[in-house]
Amino acid sequence: MQVREYIARRLLTLPILMLGVSILVFGLSRVGGSPIGIYIEHEMTPAEVAKIEERYGLDESLPQQYIAWLGGVVRGDLGWSGVSAAPVSSIILPKLMATMELAMLAALIAVVLGVSMGTFGGARKNKLGDHLTRVVAISGASIPIFWFGLLLLIVFYLGFGWAPLGRADPSIYARIGHPTGLYTVDSLLNLDFGAFTDALWHLALPAITMGYGSTAIIARMMRSSLVEELGEDYVDAARAKGLPERLVIRRHARRNALMPTMTVIGLSWGFLLQGTVVVELIFNWPGLGRWMTDAVLQGDQATIMSYVLITSIIFLAVNLVVDVAYAYLDRRVVLGD
Amino acid sequence: MVHAVDGVTLDIHEGETLGLVGETGSGKSVTAKSLLRLVPTPPGVYAGGEVSFRPRNSGEAVDLLRIPDQQLRGIRGNRIAMIFQDPAKALNPALSVKQQLAEVFAEHRSSELFRDAKIVAGPPGTRPLLRRAAHRHSTFFERRLLDLPPFRAMEKRLERELDERIASALSATRIPNPAKVMNSYPHELSGGMKQRVMIAQALACDPDLLIADEPTTALDVTIQARILDLIQDLQEQHHAAVLYISHDLSLVKRISDRVSVMYAGKLVETATTQQLFDDPLHPYTRALLAAVPTAEQARGELAAIEGTVPELVDPEPSCRFHSRCPHAGPICAAREPQLLTRKQQHRAACFLYDDPQDLGCPVDLMPQSQVSETQ
Repeated sequence: MQVREYIARRLLTLPILMLGVSILVFGLSRVGGSPIGIYIEHEMTPAEVAKIEERYGLDESLPQQYIAWLGGVVRGDLGWSGVSAAPVSSIILPKLMATMELAMLAALIAVVLGVSMGTFGGARKNKLGDHLTRVVAISGASIPIFWFGLLLLIVFYLGFGWAPLGRADPSIYARIGHPTGLYTVDSLLNLDFGAFTDALWHLALPAITMGYGSTAIIARMMRSSLVEELGEDYVDAARAKGLPERLVIRRHARRNALMPTMTVIGLSWGFLLQGTVVVELIFNWPGLGRWMTDAVLQGDQATIMSYVLITSIIFLAVNLVVDVAYAYLDRRVVLGD
Repeated sequence: MVHAVDGVTLDIHEGETLGLVGETGSGKSVTAKSLLRLVPTPPGVYAGGEVSFRPRNSGEAVDLLRIPDQQLRGIRGNRIAMIFQDPAKALNPALSVKQQLAEVFAEHRSSELFRDAKIVAGPPGTRPLLRRAAHRHSTFFERRLLDLPPFRAMEKRLERELDERIASALSATRIPNPAKVMNSYPHELSGGMKQRVMIAQALACDPDLLIADEPTTALDVTIQARILDLIQDLQEQHHAAVLYISHDLSLVKRISDRVSVMYAGKLVETATTQQLFDDPLHPYTRALLAAVPTAEQARGELAAIEGTVPELVDPEPSCRFHSRCPHAGPICAAREPQLLTRKQQHRAACFLYDDPQDLGCPVDLMPQSQVSETQ
């Protein structure tokens, strides 16, 4: 009951946080220059500029503009994307799904690999296994993502020719329906395993590139908090009960070591989204990141604002999930509020 | 290398309580932990010695330091149980009381649980599936399978059997409302309650030996007395041997049949409780007893032992108390005294009770039993 109450309370704070994010996004967009920059040319007279401003409601006060923008966002109108020459709302969804698919797989890789590597290393403190995972982790945290991506590209695309570029094979892509926009899920829904393999094959390199850095951070965090937990009395108590070492680690130490690691997992989602910009460029992935790069270079504010707003909301949602997971892992969290 | 525990010899008999006394850092806890091989290696090293344990119902004595891990695990929590100093730290904060007690039964009593739950024949594979469930070793898929109709009822019975055992283990420690406590998390319980849960967990399998490592140190004085009574009562019921570790002499006097005194990783004296408190032999024990404040003492006057405990890094052979001992002679710094029987059931490691001729040592190098008052 208590946990449910806690989750309900956390859910109630979500709209407030989202409102805050929207104010921030709007405010920053006005700091960053004129929202109609993309439409103005050098030859225009001030009167012509004023006319355009009037057309977009920019002659009104900032709060009024904010409310107008927010009203549009709530109704699903995210503005006109200059770089795509189409309404943002009509093109953002497939791009968002492309990025989400990539980011989710990268996160999955990072969490599964990071937690298991950290547990493996922490349970073998200062032995060979620990040193090996440490090398992997430290290189992951220190290799720049663009360099690592290019390296994989050179080896597996140019060198061996194993890995494809882009998101899917066009012929395979065309033969299945796309209810969710996540190609792996779509192909499974269509029961087309050939398409599934193709989608996964296309995902592999960019997802590994994106996930490596976070894997490293999660593994380091997991290792050090596991080492700390293994020094606690309750671990000795668990051993004194006669539990096998495997269960002492899995049931007792790892569960508590996951607490600080969860925080890092939530935060590393931010790194992942940041990484999409570079990774999508390198692997020719048709997601939000590349679109965003174009928009920034051309000063397309509606696109930028939509991107920032949506990624912030995703970030909030992920951290909400982390908080809920926290409450399940440790009931003391519920008492905190 | 720190020699945290060095040449300690303890013997505990069925139904007996042995008190192990010593100041902080004297190696009491390490001694207790090494009995169950709980000192992590590395950095720890078991340099030698043996822990010989003979369970009550089987005559075979085993050396706990040399038996394979699996056999040792069958003894831990089952034949030898341990209570830790701070119950707030020794209970896993993330697991409920029930989950933590269930582990003990699952590890050591799973076949009884299986038998008492009266699992009747079901589809092929039912018995191994539920045996593993009783042992709490089910995999993810097995757990999903156990949620399905034919197995669900059986698993419920297993669960009920387990609940009953947990509740009775808890109520044996006089916990009010065990059904409620069972489903609580450690942070929801008071310190005394947590220690009762620890005791319930330790006595769940009716062990032959209970190691209690300062079980009341972290508790309020009022609760201390009750926990102490509880341990004593349960010991009488179960006829378990108890190794009671404490730095509190008055507690040890109250609960123990015999007492061993540790100093700097060494055992200095072992005697029956009465002998030790009436007629202590070792100068350290005497100083320790003199340091216990009494009601007759004037305010502000506390006897203390001068000096500090020596470093235990690669110690030289010597009496480790010699630098603080009022009786010490040159031999005390040069040779190590043996823990020998000085009176009936009374052993002490001190040159005061050795014959200089046996040692081959001139009389003027021996410690002096008469000490001039120099204060």
